[in-house]
Amino acid sequence: MLRFILRRVLLAIPSLFGLLVLTFFLVRVVPADPATALAGENATPAQIAAIRHEYGFDQPLYKQFVVYLGQVARFDFGESAYSRRPVSLDIKQRLPATLELTITSLLLGTFLGIPLGTIAAVYHNRWPDITLRILSVAGVAIAAFWFAIELQLLFSMELDWLPLRGRLSSSMDAPPLVTGFMLIDSLLAGRWDAFTDTLHHLILPAMTLSLGGLATIARFTRAGVLETLQRDFVTYARAQGVPSRVLIWKYVLKNSIVAALTQIGLLFGGLIAGAVVVETIFDWPGIGFYTVQAILTADYKVILGVTVVIGVIYAAVNILVDLIHGLVDPRLREQL
Amino acid sequence: MTFWSKLAGAVAIAAAVSLTPQILTPYAYAAQPGTLVTGDNLPANLDPHQIFDVPMQLYSLNEYDNLYRYEGNPPELKPWLAESYTVSPDGLTYEFKLRHGAKFHDGSEITADDVVYSFKRVLALGKGPSGAFKPVLKPDNVTAPDKYTVKFVLDHAYAPFLSAVPIVMVVNQKILKAHEKNNDWGAAWLGSNGAGSGAYILDASTYRPLERVDLKQNPAHFKGWSDNPQAPKEVQIIPTRETSTRVLALLKGSVDMTDSYLPTDQVERIQKAKGVHIEKHTSMRVFVLRMNNTKPPLDNINMRKCLAHAFNYDGFITEILKGYDYDLKKAKAFCDKAKAEGAPTTRPIEIHIQSQLEQTNQAAQLLQSDLSQIGINLKIVSDTWANITTNTAKADTTPDMWVHWVSTYFVDPENWVGQMYDSQFHGTWKASSWYKNPKVDELLRKARSVTDQKERQPLYEEATRLIVADSPDIWVYNTVELRGVTDRVKDFRFSPVGSGGEMRWIKLAN
Amino acid sequence: MLVLKKFAKDKPAVLGLIIVLIVIFVAIFAPLLAPYPGDVSASHLLRRLKPPTWAYPFGSDNLGRDIFSRVILGTRGALMIATTVVGLAMVIGVPLGLLGGYYIGWGSEFIMRVTDMFLAVPQLILALALAQLMTPSIESAMLALTLTYWPFFTRIVYAETRRLKNALFIDALQCMGASVPRILFLHILPNCISSIIVRATIGMGFTILMAAVLGFLGMGATPPDPDWGLAISESRQYLPDSWWFATFPGLAIFFTVLGFNMLGDGLRDIVDPRLRRSR
Repeated sequence: MLRFILRRVLLAIPSLFGLLVLTFFLVRVVPADPATALAGENATPAQIAAIRHEYGFDQPLYKQFVVYLGQVARFDFGESAYSRRPVSLDIKQRLPATLELTITSLLLGTFLGIPLGTIAAVYHNRWPDITLRILSVAGVAIAAFWFAIELQLLFSMELDWLPLRGRLSSSMDAPPLVTGFMLIDSLLAGRWDAFTDTLHHLILPAMTLSLGGLATIARFTRAGVLETLQRDFVTYARAQGVPSRVLIWKYVLKNSIVAALTQIGLLFGGLIAGAVVVETIFDWPGIGFYTVQAILTADYKVILGVTVVIGVIYAAVNILVDLIHGLVDPRLREQL
Repeated sequence: MTFWSKLAGAVAIAAAVSLTPQILTPYAYAAQPGTLVTGDNLPANLDPHQIFDVPMQLYSLNEYDNLYRYEGNPPELKPWLAESYTVSPDGLTYEFKLRHGAKFHDGSEITADDVVYSFKRVLALGKGPSGAFKPVLKPDNVTAPDKYTVKFVLDHAYAPFLSAVPIVMVVNQKILKAHEKNNDWGAAWLGSNGAGSGAYILDASTYRPLERVDLKQNPAHFKGWSDNPQAPKEVQIIPTRETSTRVLALLKGSVDMTDSYLPTDQVERIQKAKGVHIEKHTSMRVFVLRMNNTKPPLDNINMRKCLAHAFNYDGFITEILKGYDYDLKKAKAFCDKAKAEGAPTTRPIEIHIQSQLEQTNQAAQLLQSDLSQIGINLKIVSDTWANITTNTAKADTTPDMWVHWVSTYFVDPENWVGQMYDSQFHGTWKASSWYKNPKVDELLRKARSVTDQKERQPLYEEATRLIVADSPDIWVYNTVELRGVTDRVKDFRFSPVGSGGEMRWIKLAN
Repeated sequence: MLVLKKFAKDKPAVLGLIIVLIVIFVAIFAPLLAPYPGDVSASHLLRRLKPPTWAYPFGSDNLGRDIFSRVILGTRGALMIATTVVGLAMVIGVPLGLLGGYYIGWGSEFIMRVTDMFLAVPQLILALALAQLMTPSIESAMLALTLTYWPFFTRIVYAETRRLKNALFIDALQCMGASVPRILFLHILPNCISSIIVRATIGMGFTILMAAVLGFLGMGATPPDPDWGLAISESRQYLPDSWWFATFPGLAIFFTVLGFNMLGDGLRDIVDPRLRRSR
């Protein structure tokens, strides 16, 4: 088992290294002269030269790359060209908001998707199944940003049930910062008002974001359950008189869930990308909103920092999923 | 019970638990007593010596103090940190006497050294606010003869000097020196921290660039609060990207103020609603469609005239604002002339708009649709203030065209004509048409050095005539500022300088 | 024939095909179908933001343009972007996959590591960053999407090639002295073609969505393009009063993407019945 874990982690290294090469290339090599870009308005040639030296742009590329690797290892991405703040500080402040949103969406997708998928399989080719199939195809085809706007239109603007934007009402004092996850922090502080307020704010963004994942998880669960239902042990168990719901919710689901779980790893990338859009629409103070702002203002250091951090999270989640997968299904350990 | 019905039951319970009853009641936006929330825009960073624009005024007029300050409409220069000033007969030496006992937020007293440091810092950083002083003031000529006196010696007579003094916010020298890094004058640090003495104190721990600024009342402010006990105890600046969301938040009472650039559609929405109203004030703000006069085909005067005549001024003002003449035939004639002179009129012209200000988009699209009728291809690029004003540092990175307002930063023709069309300001956003006419330069420089206002007037008029003849930009006058506020905001005191962003005058009813 | 019969029995796939055919038809004849084809660039300030009526079935936008016409005209752009991106991604991705799969050694390793590298970041973020580097325009958006989409083709073709490489008939061809390009393009490629088509069909829907997102974020189409994503982005200023402004372009995106996805799913069922309707 240990060997499996080790091999899986080692396998991720080349692609992470590749990611660093890619980001380095994008930011340091593609713009004609990064020093001029950094120096900004009214810079004299002497100032530009000083910056070129300070940032090591006068060094050979491979040396610059080594320096860059060192910076990334120390979680140092320099400072934003506009706000003049360290990028790593901004990322640290914002990441919890994004994780709170994506994890909530993932949980929503999983805990709704698995039962829905199972029901569809059990009622194969009957109306619950057909409805779900239509919904799951629709869920993937819908543009998240449009869906979000329509939700805002209905639930915030017309019905006035849910807040339009943000993470916490402006009239609400934020609970003391412990984990950065507002739901957890407000519970830790015993602030029930802040907890429900955060929950209110979470509903629409999380609904929007979970849509694609929900559809995918439901489809995979359905496929898995359908396959398992045809296996011999199911027929045997039925013959033995095992009650139908025990059989399905205990034995069949356990045997068919693996494929759906693998999808979670893949989905996570989609969720982070989706967060870019959802956070922009709901003014959610996370890393996605930050990325969009950085991209609109061509703030390269921020773009770089965010890309690296998201890439690392993405890789980590995929490793984790593979490990869980390996635990569930020992055959897979051999394949690697 | 069948499997299906049991499951349905479970799902229903789960749904009921997750959708707690209060979710289904209208969402409550309880305004907090004493806290004013504004949805207005924030500057790219918080250093008042690096950034010089309307969003910065909203922040700096609250966090910082200046020597003199503009108040009221029309704006009047009022003593602030300084109690008085004297000027030598030749108009070269100014001396400001500081008020005694005014304190920074850290409790230390504001002295002449801090003022000297602040002016030197503005000149050294060389960013936006330095424009008004660069031509006449050397850093070494700002001195502190004693603890409460600041002395300026100008290189030559300069009429706008006094009216420009309020531009410079006084920063706490001691704090900044402690945060200097590679001789940056603390520029990296002050970008997300405060070092002021103003009526409100920044809470740096909750600051998020372009998203949130929290300010708390400064009980020790030199002005005291006895004249306005109802002033907001706390001010939150929480911008929303979209104007419509901002207005909606106002209608629901989750913000008390919008920005002051509201388009008509939104103004009508606010006027129809209860509990909110429009603060409408005459201002001196000018709306401009900027042209980069160095880039072909815009370096051709006829091409520029063509564009100027292709803008539907009346349509924009009556239908969009409701606040040169529009003549497509004339425009076409000028375009043909430009073409005959060899200007590459078929090259697509890029116009950059400020994505969060809808009026800039509408103006650009309006021009675009008219130009397409006479065969000119205008390309609209969605951009941001922060980005455009960085790019206007050089002629070749300045967009072909862009849309913006020139607000009142100080009250002098210098704020508009002077800094927009004198070529020595090339590289600042205000002069981003890269217009250069030696005759205009000469007139403007002369107007600046004459201290008699009666003599200055004809000089500016003459310069303006020459500039209009060259048609460097498309001017659309927009002298009204429209801002939506909730009814709990009483006594909104407007001044064209700062657009009413000074919070200490507001009386907040609960 | 058997394949066709099987396809005809799959109702969602047939529906998908019908939608796709309608979309293609609309795109080709857009200028003829749109009641006001001039509304791409025209402006009519006097009838701004009017709700749907018979004359303007989807209402009018902030410059008084007919949204129905603009949705129809926008079909062209959407399909053009999608076909270009998917086509270019195939041109880059397929040969790399063939080469990477056929040869063993550092070259193949290199190709696959580069592929992994592009897959290590969510596509949207990579595409946004690339589009920004190339100054925002529809062309940069297309290039950025292409650069992020080719690895998917490489992956598929690589896997297929690896599987086929040791097949008996390839061994036989090698013994007969067939040239490598001949083996790759005439014998291996035809065996991959079905998976490539499936991926391409789904990719069409995916690319239309991504292009809309880029347009929405201001990194894709620019005014006055009747781009759907851009229209939704512009509409946000006029909500909730002008609900039609956002709703109809969004529905256009939805149905187009739905059509391609259902068609793609149906095709996959035929190509690989094992997968059934899983992904």
